[in-house]
Parts: sequence; C-alpha cells; structure tokens
Amino acid sequence: MNRKKFTPLILPIIILIIWYLITSVFNLVTSYVLPSPINVFESAITLFSSGKLFTDSIDTLFKVFGGMLFASIVAIPLGILLGWSKTLEEMSSFVISVLRPIPPVAWIPFSILWFGIGTVPAIFIIFMGCVFPILIYTIDGVKRTDKVLIEAAQTLGAGDFDILYRVMLPSAVPYIVSGLKVGIGIALMCTISAEMIGSSSGLGFLILTATNLFDTGTTVVGMLTIGVIGLVLDYIFGKIQKQIFW
Amino acid sequence: MSIKIKNINKSYSAHEKEVKVLENINFDINDGELICLLGPSGCGKTTLLRLIAGLEKANSGEIYVNDELVSKPSKDRGFIFQQYSLFPWLNVLDNVMFGLNLTNESKEENLKSAKRYLERVGLSDVENNYPHELSGGMKQRVAIIRSLLNHTPVLLMDEPFSALDMQNRHKLQEQLIGVWKRFENTIVFVTHDVDEAVYLGDKIVIMDKNPGKVKKIVDIELPRLRNRESIEFIEAQNKVKNLLDVGD
Repeated sequence: MNRKKFTPLILPIIILIIWYLITSVFNLVTSYVLPSPINVFESAITLFSSGKLFTDSIDTLFKVFGGMLFASIVAIPLGILLGWSKTLEEMSSFVISVLRPIPPVAWIPFSILWFGIGTVPAIFIIFMGCVFPILIYTIDGVKRTDKVLIEAAQTLGAGDFDILYRVMLPSAVPYIVSGLKVGIGIALMCTISAEMIGSSSGLGFLILTATNLFDTGTTVVGMLTIGVIGLVLDYIFGKIQKQIFW
Repeated sequence: MSIKIKNINKSYSAHEKEVKVLENINFDINDGELICLLGPSGCGKTTLLRLIAGLEKANSGEIYVNDELVSKPSKDRGFIFQQYSLFPWLNVLDNVMFGLNLTNESKEENLKSAKRYLERVGLSDVENNYPHELSGGMKQRVAIIRSLLNHTPVLLMDEPFSALDMQNRHKLQEQLIGVWKRFENTIVFVTHDVDEAVYLGDKIVIMDKNPGKVKKIVDIELPRLRNRESIEFIEAQNKVKNLLDVGD
C-alpha cells in the first residue's frame, strides 16, 4: 500500500533532480531561460509571505467561478431543451459546431468592445471557454436518458414537462457534472488570456508581468499554482461524481 | 376495464424491408380478467402489449379500453417492464410515489398510502433504499406497487419475472394473484413460459410467429390458488404445450 502511495512521487523527484543538475550544478542554461528550483523556491517564499500569491489565486478563482456560473446558467437549461427537442437540436447544431472550435482568446477584441477592460471581459472569455463543453455534455446526457424510464413515467401519467423535469434532468446529472469538470479545466487554461485584458491582479496577470520583467522564478510559481488549483478542483469534482450513483 | 382489440396489423421497416409483426389480431378481454399472452419469441406478444399501453402505434386496427380508443399512454394502463424500470435517483418510497406526486393530492396522504402498500408486500425495511441496493425480485415488486398505488385499473405486464430464479418467480406469481384478487384489476401478462401462463391465466392467448397472430385462446378453469402438482394443472399444461407446438 505504501509503495503504491509513493509511486506518483517518483517522476516529480527525478524531474526535480535533473532540473537542479542542469540549472544549478552544471549551469547549462542561464536563469532567465530556465530558473533553478532554488530560484523558484525563493520566489514562492516571497510571493507567499507577501500574501500576493493568495490574493492573486482568489482573484483568478473568482473569475473562473464567475465564468463557470454564467456558463452553467446558459448551458444547462439550453442543453436540456436541445437534448429534449430533436427539431431544436437540428436547428442549432450548425451554429454550435461553428462557434465551438473558436479559441476563447479570439473573443478578446469583442470582449473589450462589449465589456471594456478589467474583470468582466475576463469572466466573458472564461464563459466562452466553458459554455460549450457544459452544453454538449448536457445535451448528450439528456439524449441518453433510458427509454424505459421515459416510458415508465408516461404509463404513470407523466406529461412532457414532467418527463423533462422529473426524468431527463435527474438522469442527465452525471453528464452535467462531467461537463462542469471539463469546463473548469478549460476555464483555468483561459485565465492567462482572460487576464491579458487590463486586469491588474490574478495568476494570469502575475505570470504576464513576471515574464515581462524576466522574473522567470515567479512565472514558474504562477504556472505551478494554476496546476495545483486544477488538481484540487479535479479532486473535488471526482468526489462529487462518486456521490452520484446512477 | 374491458379491452377490445380489433383488426390490429403492425409492421416495422428494417433495412428498407417491411417486417410484419402482427397480423389481423382480434380478441376481447373482459373487465377483471387475467389474460396471458403466450408464444415463442418473435410472435409479437410484447408489441401487442405495447400497443394496448399506447407506447406504439398500429399500422391499422384499433384498441378500445372501456370503449375509449387508445392513442397514447395513460395512467389507466400501468406497465411493468421486463427490464428494471425504477428511477435510480429516487429511493423506494419516492419511486412508488412517482405517479401520485404528479397530481396535486396532498403529499402526506401519498406518503401514508405508499407506506401502507409497501408494508403489505413486506418491503417496509427497504423503503429508504435505492434501486441499485435491491434484488431483482424486489425491484419488480416495487415497480408493481408503483403502478398499483396509481390506482391503475389495467395492469400490463411484459415478462416481469423472467429474470428471476424459479423460487422467486413462484413467490411473485402467488403475490400477483393476491394483488389481483384484492384490487380486481384487468391484467394482461406476457410470457413465454407455459407453466407461468397456466398458473396465472383465466385465459391464455396462444400466439404464433412469422407473422405474429392468434393461434388459439384457451380457458383455464382451475380454482385459485392453483396447485402445480395437481393432475388438472399438469393436464392443462400439456394441452397448452401441444397447442403451442402444433404446426411447428
């Protein structure tokens, strides 16, 4: 059991050792090309003790959850509707297929025109990033509702709305949660581009300014923090998924 | 409720070919009768049951329940599926109350009658359990209670006990007879098992395949509860078996 627990740690330790050897022992690359682990550690201590890392993380999480919230408000009801009505799905499938592959970054010009600069356009970019996976998963979940359950409900006297609300929606919940899990991953990936637009805080902003100042240590700390936040959120969503047993 | 089946024809198109499933089906079911539809797989007995339920539409012909034309599913015609059909996100109590909760009756009354029904069939212990925690027999009993609680005058059952072992199957058949006597529903029971049909049915509609049609309707006039070991039961069983095999 202990052996299994430590297996995931082997690779990070090897990477850390090689990284240390290349940067600090053999001095193969200069610090602004690749900072040494010690550099990163020092930056982490500074950022941590000043509280900057914490406020930036909270700030980014606020934008991520804001974008997710709006995306859910739009995508879940819409997805249920489109999964339910074949006609509506056929009507909208072309539009969705064209809009979906557009990278969220491409919306930056419009987000500035529509929302100015600051937090709101950042939330918009994140919204654009995660609205489609949530929508697609919801449509899929509704469409996969077991036909027997729909027919059982019909023979128990359920009308169309009852079936939508009492059968298709609960049946789609596991898929919706999967959609949210995918969405939150994409939302985190959007943070840098989202915070390029006049943000003055957040992890994306932290990374951008540090890079401009050749402070590669801080850049790496910012990157790793986003990674760790993603890990924690993934773990939380995994726990939620385990609670859904159907 | 009485059921009249008139000139039913039903075909499916598969790979651009028309496959005839039911041809010219005609028979009546009296109020309060327990009818078994018996036949080999592919004789369209399940399709016929789904037509009575309103879950499918015939190509021609009509089905009347109490002189009303069947056009869509209704809570007057409860359906017990061969597959398990409980809502996996609801516990037993909420599952059996599903139909009641659709109407505006008081939630408290619903809960009371649900608990009473569950107690009657010995399922009180599992009323807070979820479907995945129940055995196959329990699931089908819950499904039956769910329809009964809806005050359904007609109960359509599609091989509901076929996945159960013999002991459980016999137990549930006996319970079904009890339920039927108490509630006086009209029951249409689809099965491919001669023993089950002879044990349950007032009448057995014997069906043939390619295309599905009614071969013969047999009355079983044995007293309830039927004794599987009695000579009369075995004779009836042989008679049905022979009729089923004629022409094969």
